[in-house]
Amino acid sequence: MKISYNWLKKFVDFELSPKELTEMLVSVGIESFVVSSVCDWSNVITVKVLDVQKHPGADKLSLCKVSDGSKEYSIVCGAKNIATGQIVPLAKIGAVLPGNFEIKKSKIRGIESEGMICSESELGLKEKSEGILVLKENTKIGVALENVLDEFDSIIEIEITTNRGDCLSYLGIAREIGAKLRKVASLPIIKTFNVADLNCVEIKSDLCLRYIGAIISGVKVGPSPKWITATLEKSGIRSINNVVDITNYVMIELGQPLHAFDITKLSSKNIIVRKAGDFEKITALDGKEYKLDSEMLVIADTKKPVAIAGVMGGQYSGIDEKTGTIFLESAIFDAVSIRKTSKKLNLSTDSSYRFERGLGWDITDFALWRAANLIIEFADGKIEAREDFNIVEYEKTKIALRFERVSKVLGYAIEKEEISEILRYLEIDLQPKGEIILCTIPSWRNDIKEEIDLIEEIVRIKGYDSIPSLENNVQIYTSNNSFLPAVVEEFRVKLNGLGFSEALNYSFLEINELKKFDLKYFYKISNPISKENEVLRPSLLPSLYKNLLLNIGQNFETVTLFEYGKVFNEFGERKTFAAIMYGKIWQEWWKWAEQKISPKYDFYFGGGIVKNILPSDEFIIAENLNPKNYYHLGKTASVIYRGKSVGQFGVLKPSITDDIKDIKGDVFYFEIDLELLKTVCVERNSLYKAYSKFPVVKRDISVIADKSLQFSKIEKVIKNIMKSNGILKEYSLFSVYSDESKLGAGKISYSFRLSYKNNEKTLTDEEVNKDINVLLQKLDSELSVKLRL
Amino acid sequence: MNNIECIINEATEKIKNADIVVLENLKVEYLGRNGILTQILKSLSQYSIEDKKRIGLEANKAKSIIENEIDKKKESLKKALLDEKVQKEKLDYSSSFYFPFSKGSFHPVIQTIQDISSVFKSLGFSVAEGPEIETDWYNFEALNIPESHPARDTQDTFYLDNVKNLLRTHTSSGQIRVMEKQKPPIKVIVPGRVYRNEASDASHSSTFHQIEGLVVDENVTFVDLKAVLSNFIHKFFGFELGVRFRPSHFQFTEPSAEVDMQCPFCKGNGCRVCKNSGWIETLGCGMVHPNVLKAVSYDPGKYTAYAFGIGVERITMFKHGIDDIRLFYENDLRFLKQF
Repeated sequence: MKISYNWLKKFVDFELSPKELTEMLVSVGIESFVVSSVCDWSNVITVKVLDVQKHPGADKLSLCKVSDGSKEYSIVCGAKNIATGQIVPLAKIGAVLPGNFEIKKSKIRGIESEGMICSESELGLKEKSEGILVLKENTKIGVALENVLDEFDSIIEIEITTNRGDCLSYLGIAREIGAKLRKVASLPIIKTFNVADLNCVEIKSDLCLRYIGAIISGVKVGPSPKWITATLEKSGIRSINNVVDITNYVMIELGQPLHAFDITKLSSKNIIVRKAGDFEKITALDGKEYKLDSEMLVIADTKKPVAIAGVMGGQYSGIDEKTGTIFLESAIFDAVSIRKTSKKLNLSTDSSYRFERGLGWDITDFALWRAANLIIEFADGKIEAREDFNIVEYEKTKIALRFERVSKVLGYAIEKEEISEILRYLEIDLQPKGEIILCTIPSWRNDIKEEIDLIEEIVRIKGYDSIPSLENNVQIYTSNNSFLPAVVEEFRVKLNGLGFSEALNYSFLEINELKKFDLKYFYKISNPISKENEVLRPSLLPSLYKNLLLNIGQNFETVTLFEYGKVFNEFGERKTFAAIMYGKIWQEWWKWAEQKISPKYDFYFGGGIVKNILPSDEFIIAENLNPKNYYHLGKTASVIYRGKSVGQFGVLKPSITDDIKDIKGDVFYFEIDLELLKTVCVERNSLYKAYSKFPVVKRDISVIADKSLQFSKIEKVIKNIMKSNGILKEYSLFSVYSDESKLGAGKISYSFRLSYKNNEKTLTDEEVNKDINVLLQKLDSELSVKLRL
Repeated sequence: MNNIECIINEATEKIKNADIVVLENLKVEYLGRNGILTQILKSLSQYSIEDKKRIGLEANKAKSIIENEIDKKKESLKKALLDEKVQKEKLDYSSSFYFPFSKGSFHPVIQTIQDISSVFKSLGFSVAEGPEIETDWYNFEALNIPESHPARDTQDTFYLDNVKNLLRTHTSSGQIRVMEKQKPPIKVIVPGRVYRNEASDASHSSTFHQIEGLVVDENVTFVDLKAVLSNFIHKFFGFELGVRFRPSHFQFTEPSAEVDMQCPFCKGNGCRVCKNSGWIETLGCGMVHPNVLKAVSYDPGKYTAYAFGIGVERITMFKHGIDDIRLFYENDLRFLKQF
């Protein structure tokens, strides 16, 4: 809501500059800022020119004596239009003018000047101006310039929190200022008349809590007085005609939405407040047709609705130049119902916005009279009839406030007198009873419902800056848990060292993105406003794959990403970790250019990374018995933890990756379900194993096996030997050779490097040879794997 | 000058200009088995006892002087040789170092969560978590946001097919989860993902992160809240910055506050980052509303509590001068590799 700084002064007396005013409003919880301002100065006051003399040292300058009524200043001035008797703005020493121009004590051509008499451009009022600004003759002197510059206003934008519907008016803001400054906001003066009852209104729904109507005849519809159009304009409301403008003006003045319509356009004189029929329609004042339903409240004649209650009037009963008799309505409708209607129709208006937030009971009648008075005055109307339908009995909220509770919640004491004073200036009625005050809440403060709300009011008006700051009082004790599971921390750090980047994707996907990956189970969002938010991701793969394509498109030759987050699949909401790898493993380097070493991520290298980052030996890589549909069935494996498959990795199947142009190597993907790993702790304090001080003996052997034989079977034999005799300590596979012309059809050769060690003595060749022979014999007898000579 | 002195002078002169080969020859020439000085010592028998003594002494002295000179020269030649070698082997440090992998990076949002968490851990908080798929009760009802309340408008909600379930719109639902599971005293933060059903633009995202904080005990007050949050801001952003609490409204806290910190870029003088206000909105907080405590069957007469919520992306954007929230979720390596 936008309001005028000058107009606000009509409702409460204050002497703050626009900027100071917004700062004060912020301090009581109303976000506000100056939208357009011309008076962002301080220390600029009005003064009277007492005397003008020529400057002895410069023809074009003059020496002036000016007075603010109590003090005289001598000023050097360069303007031609200065003359004795004028009232002019003086920027005193210390004033800051637009453009951060600070007025300092200075000598001009040898004579000291105690400030500067300003032009409109210097004040930022106009872009260009000639000579100094000369104010009206009867302007008060010695006051801040902004207080006398009526023609220059500031517009203040107000943003209220959802609980403070009462602040959506000049009066509401004035009350807040009043509470803070200990002043009372003033209401406009109204005249009431004794007139006949309406006898034509029927309330048929309890969604209407109060309804006041008036018939005003003899209305001359025409333009509004200038002050109304100007005030509306400053709040961003377009002027329509005097009657409509007055209803709008009273709404921003007092916060009560009003509605006026041409009663002669109704099919009958009867006005009915009822729920709409399920197939009823109305063309509203915005020219659009709205379909109503039986939960919406309407104002109707005997045939059809004339207004959507609290939201918008209907077109056919609108006020135009020919209108002579109007029906003026001021009502309170059920806030929830208005909110629902507005949401369903997707139609939010100044009126519905206020009704949704709740209105003060007392202001309804007052606003009707205020509008009627203005219509009588500015549209020549005559009030014929009026009636007030109080559908519900309204009772003001009464709350007992315990003084002791105030300090219990706030943590510091506020004097009882101060508490009472603050509450009184909030227009709360007080009845003290010892350690308790009984508070009666004014009708417009529907946000104050219980004791804690009063405590908030007290500290809010007193100011949050009054709360003592005791940073050293913070109680410390320690804890060790973390947002990221320990396993994830381990993955992140290790992958970071290997050049991976951490990604973060939206939790949503489009349905058609799932198909490509053959993901069948998903949670559907029932009300997405955008296609991107159709389903929750059942896997981290689709978005990581999207990231991969994006980065390949940016000409990255290596893309290695990982992500931790939740996925939503047939097992529910699951914490998941995944990594995707593609492209060159090594960065290019001039020293390696000759060797042309440029390996790519593939099943074995990716698998090696997975093996390396897994936090303990308890994780085993095994055959993937139940591979996800997106893996290449020949290039996948599963990660087993304590006998359970917790994750899978592998190369994505070609039907997925065929959208990568000139694909270089494989796309490797790894995903692990962390919900299955809740018990894993990353062991940093496992027991130290003594190592041998005696030298290690290394031997290389090559064996020939059938290609169909799983490598893991050979490994198993080696591992068994390691377990049994104790001198074979390590092995590594350093070469795989499969040239069938040399090895024979269906054969493959593996070369191992074996490390032998004895913890007690230096090994002899004999001992090592004996051990190798045992190994070779076992390989031969169990697997028909033979030594390659 | 006697003969021996002459020998010393002559030898020293020769050593001075010798290279390593000449040096070896000189050693033989003077000190070798048939060297000049050895010869002298061998011929001593022909002299008188007195001369024997004198010449012998002088010759031995000369021997050690020359030996020493040769060693010294040898050392210095060796050193010069090594110096030359090192000089020749000098590499250009400015050319190119190599590590096979490019530099890895952590996501700035996760990093901020970690950083904020560690500040709160140092203030005695533990870390808890809650599900992202929530029910109306945890996300709204228990937090004193009834169905019809306009506060729901500010949090457009994603509903799942089964309308009873929704995606949490704030981590505040975690408060309820924690209080249901635990008895006071409670001192936790709940970091996590939250969702709003709104169109995304430079400052809005349907997915983002929050960190919720909750402290419940018998004598928790607004003063404690201010102390902890001022402490957090000072530890996280810098001790010199001003902190401002101003009234605000959240359904689940009363009194409520927004906490601003002085803009670190302009020190409160106003700049582009703080939109000339001198202040940066950092977090929302307040004393937990008695209705919320009642919702989890805590006695609001006995316990008081405070809560706060921090928008992680906002703080991260501010910290790194990022002006578009969508950059966080694009995962362009040109962005990610900067962190």
